[in-house]
Amino acid sequence: MDKKTTLTQQMAVAQEPEKAIVERKTGALSWVAQNGIFIFLAVLILVASFAVNGFASLENLTSILNRAAPIGIVAVGMTYVVISGNYLDLSVVAQVATAGVIFLAVGNEYGLFVAALAAFAASLVYGIVNGVAVGYFKANAVIVTLATTYIGLGLLRFFSGGSIFFGNPDGPMEQFGQAKLGPIPASTFVLLAITIVLSILLTRTNFGFLVKSFGVNEKATRLAGVNTDRVIVGAFLVTAFAATLAGFVFAAYSNTAVSTMSQGFDFRALAAIIIGGTSVFGGRGSVLRTLLGVMFVSVLNNILVLVGISFGYQQLALGIIILLAVTLDVLSRKLGEK
Amino acid sequence: MAAVVEAKNITKAFGGVKAVDDVSVSVEAGEILAVVGENGAGKSTLMRILAGIETQDSGQVIVSGEVIPKSDAKASIDAGISLVHQELSLVPEMTVAENILLGSAPTTVGITRTRQMKQIAQAALEEIGVSVDLDERISKLSVALRQFVEIARAVARKPKVLILDEPTASLTPAETDYLLSMLQRLADRGMSIVYISHRIPEVFRLCDTVTILRDGKQISVLDVAKTTPQQVIDQMVGRELKKDLESKRSSSPGHVVLKAVGIRAEGVNDISLEVRAGEIIGLGGLVGAGRTELVRAIIGADPRKLGKVTLTVNGKTKVISSFESAVKAGVGYVPEERRTDGLALTMTVAENITLPNRKELSASGFQLARKIRTFADDLSKRVGLRPPEIDREAGQYSGGNQQKIVIAKWLGRRPALIVLDEPTRGVDVGAKAEIHRLVKELADNGTAVLVVSSDLPELLELADTIHVVRDGTITGTLSQEEADEKRVMSLAAGEQVENA
Amino acid sequence: MTETIQLGGAKETGFFPRLRTIIGRRTEGRGVILLLVILAVLAFTQPLVFTALPVTIGRIALIGIVALGLTAVILMGELDLSVASTLAASGVVVAIIPDLRIAIPAALLMGIVVGIINAFFIAIVGIASFIASLGMLFALSGLAFVLSNEVPVSIANQDAGLAFGQPLFGPVTPRILLFFLVFIAIQLFVTKVKAGREFFAVGGNRQAAYDSGIPVKRRIFTGFIISGFVSALAGVIYTLELTVATPTAGSTVLLASFAAAIIGGNYLKGGRGSIIGTLIGASSLGVLQVALFLSGVQVPVQNTLIGAILLIAVITDPSSLRAISARVRATLPDRTKVEAQ
Repeated sequence: MDKKTTLTQQMAVAQEPEKAIVERKTGALSWVAQNGIFIFLAVLILVASFAVNGFASLENLTSILNRAAPIGIVAVGMTYVVISGNYLDLSVVAQVATAGVIFLAVGNEYGLFVAALAAFAASLVYGIVNGVAVGYFKANAVIVTLATTYIGLGLLRFFSGGSIFFGNPDGPMEQFGQAKLGPIPASTFVLLAITIVLSILLTRTNFGFLVKSFGVNEKATRLAGVNTDRVIVGAFLVTAFAATLAGFVFAAYSNTAVSTMSQGFDFRALAAIIIGGTSVFGGRGSVLRTLLGVMFVSVLNNILVLVGISFGYQQLALGIIILLAVTLDVLSRKLGEK
Repeated sequence: MAAVVEAKNITKAFGGVKAVDDVSVSVEAGEILAVVGENGAGKSTLMRILAGIETQDSGQVIVSGEVIPKSDAKASIDAGISLVHQELSLVPEMTVAENILLGSAPTTVGITRTRQMKQIAQAALEEIGVSVDLDERISKLSVALRQFVEIARAVARKPKVLILDEPTASLTPAETDYLLSMLQRLADRGMSIVYISHRIPEVFRLCDTVTILRDGKQISVLDVAKTTPQQVIDQMVGRELKKDLESKRSSSPGHVVLKAVGIRAEGVNDISLEVRAGEIIGLGGLVGAGRTELVRAIIGADPRKLGKVTLTVNGKTKVISSFESAVKAGVGYVPEERRTDGLALTMTVAENITLPNRKELSASGFQLARKIRTFADDLSKRVGLRPPEIDREAGQYSGGNQQKIVIAKWLGRRPALIVLDEPTRGVDVGAKAEIHRLVKELADNGTAVLVVSSDLPELLELADTIHVVRDGTITGTLSQEEADEKRVMSLAAGEQVENA
Repeated sequence: MTETIQLGGAKETGFFPRLRTIIGRRTEGRGVILLLVILAVLAFTQPLVFTALPVTIGRIALIGIVALGLTAVILMGELDLSVASTLAASGVVVAIIPDLRIAIPAALLMGIVVGIINAFFIAIVGIASFIASLGMLFALSGLAFVLSNEVPVSIANQDAGLAFGQPLFGPVTPRILLFFLVFIAIQLFVTKVKAGREFFAVGGNRQAAYDSGIPVKRRIFTGFIISGFVSALAGVIYTLELTVATPTAGSTVLLASFAAAIIGGNYLKGGRGSIIGTLIGASSLGVLQVALFLSGVQVPVQNTLIGAILLIAVITDPSSLRAISARVRATLPDRTKVEAQ
């Protein structure tokens, strides 16, 4: 360092110490909002293992994993949109179904490779349309993705005739769908792999850093010379790619695909993300926590099914859990400010 | 005579810092009281407490002998306290009449009586002598006219006391002149007025009494007739104002780094300027003169309608066509609003510093954690961040330290040009001196510096050359030797001031 | 008169400047243009639409009623996504209570309660409205399934239902009548009633509204109660007309009602818009749907079209256009003189 810098430092030391820092109390509430998922999940699993008949069987656990994979893949992808402060991507419903139908309909005719190309091309379109409308046009993400959901589903139903597609028996889709390593289905490895990849992308790369930074403060990010609009397109693209992968996994598992296959994916993914501790206000969150959130939602669903509680109550429960989780987040922020 | 409005022993702290510290003021009927003080002295906070918008920690507001409940805007209005805000608080998409009667429109069983509403609005506008279409939307009006609509709203509430917070900030001299005589008329009719300003001449022209605040404390209450502007300024500042001649730099500017030609943008009317390497150019003028708009248009942070901007670094000339290209070419920007535009407050110091330097601190897109740490550590020490803890959230630091983080962000890029907009607003005296020294160091090391400041002593201390901006054009250019507060102010205000 | 100051912005005189100012102040421009374009195209391609007026008005009422309630919330810069499942749940409530005299008030009361809960989370707790109402959307759709046991429920009094579908006079069915009553009520509320007019202030500059003593939280409660009540009313109408309630009813309501409100010029950030705009937006969509139906276009394609219209409407919103034009302008000019056209 040159002399002048040392001068500044000397000055700094020589001056009266000012009240330079406001210590922030990190209250119990904010700890729960961020880390509560660990406890919630542990308690849920413990209670279920003892109290719920049939929960702790290998078969049941495999089935939980099978069901968790597609919704989980969607959720870890959509975490990017949530962290960027753009609430959510409702159109994942249309994206998963589009991918599922393409993988089976095109895959049966032209093989898996062509189908994969077609499916990812479709997800590229979704990501770009959503991202450009939200990023470049600064349009409300909820409304934009509501519109693209209906555009996408309408087109899908039109081209598919609303019919159900079945994969070729013993075709590559079915083989993948039924593949297991021990009791663990292949789809679980896909979920883990994408979680790891997206987690590294979020925490170790410039792109992930910018997604977070945009979520914290859009203006400051832009005024650091960042093309923030492109970052938003990136976040929607990540979500779209993940949704396509989810469509593949989902279609492979049942070896069928139909335009209505992914109903409710948007909410369940959002519920998993929020329960995992990612803030709906953007800027704070993690892909790994979303994975835990997914496990929570899946285990909860499984328990409700096992004890014979109907679909309606499950839906009701998730809605209330979303509201409570967000309330917790808001209250912890309010207390943190004081 | 008894006081109409009295504020007793008001205290208010924000996060441990006392913004208002045991202040008492009172106004009699027809009295015009000035409240003066530097930026951050606590004037606005005190007034917001009077108006029931901010909640005081202790103390009372008493109107005609009755204590007003805390933080109840409606009760304060009903008791007769009306505040004209510093930041315009009109609803842009509503009409003039609706805005004048915002929240207090006349009704019969809940239904707005439109005709009567317009009559009241018209009467209020006539009372202040302004004519404007009552059905026009606020968003279509000029800034000056909005200011008058705002005053009409306050007057329409038939207040006992009218509080105006820096009402002339965005007015031309003629409009200011009109406003002052209008306020005098209102006072002659028995309305009490509290006038907040840091423009001392206005205070001496208009007011009867002056209360001086400094760092939240009440320094004194003076009878305007028995004091002098110099006395008031001395008490406001609490130190003697002198040119710090020892800190003068001997500048020897190099080649032209920034060349901006024919810039036109919102609020900017055909301005050209150059900044050389190692040179500090200051932009002076009143708030709203178009300085911020000018620098933002130059570096592409806001759109410009016309104009060509080039940056020459190491003999290579690059055209600046967007903010991203500006940053890429070597521009650093310290924006006016540090908390919203300059920093991501809930991110750490290290993360904030990484933001503009991310390309240098990564390899094929992956961040280099160790390199980031040493880089951020170095810079935070270099700017004198106290304590230099790079894992703390930026929002935990005080204003002066936050500004050092913003500067550190750009220092890391060794910028060819750095643009600073009000670099020391709301910063304590110590940090201010450090920031000044940093800016001079940058220039000494060959960076071209462009500074916008409303703080005249700051401008005079830093700038080698001062361009004074008024109404979106440069009205005068002063070298360091020529410049003094009077000259800059007269160019800024557009008034011919005789040379003493 | 004492001295005055002229600062510009005085009232225009003369007929045409006056007219221009008045038109310039309206917000419904895009809705009117879309409606005119659709009508002009249909005049050539599908003139049947004009003869099928009762059908068309019925369709407009169906799309528009929820949108009207939603507009009250949008004017304040808030969103209510729960309208869709409020409609479904209230429809189920009507069907499961045998006596309509109890069922209908119960369903409407439920709508009000939903509004209060939404507003509680938004105004008191401080959750962004989209997320609070999204949770509500989810919870209520669950409730609709629970109450109906996951199957369509027929109403007990089938005759009342059938009678409800019949015109009262001319082409006016109860649905159309109720739609216009709701329209007039909300229109009067936001243009004439002080509390309603203050919605614009709450949406346009919330801080200013607070500072002027407007009870912002109470206004937010009012808005969400209106929106909840109107969607519950829509649920009642649906169920009575169909004589059966399905827990999945109203799946496209969210799309159509947001589209109608946004096409009608209601600014999503609040403070700018009108109930008439929503009526025009709903009319455009209603006419379009009937025309598509008459031309034999399938429902999925209709949804695609409406989705596309919503997408275009939301990205051509004034603030979106400003954002994109600022971006374009920020990159383009590198010249100092105005170039010849």
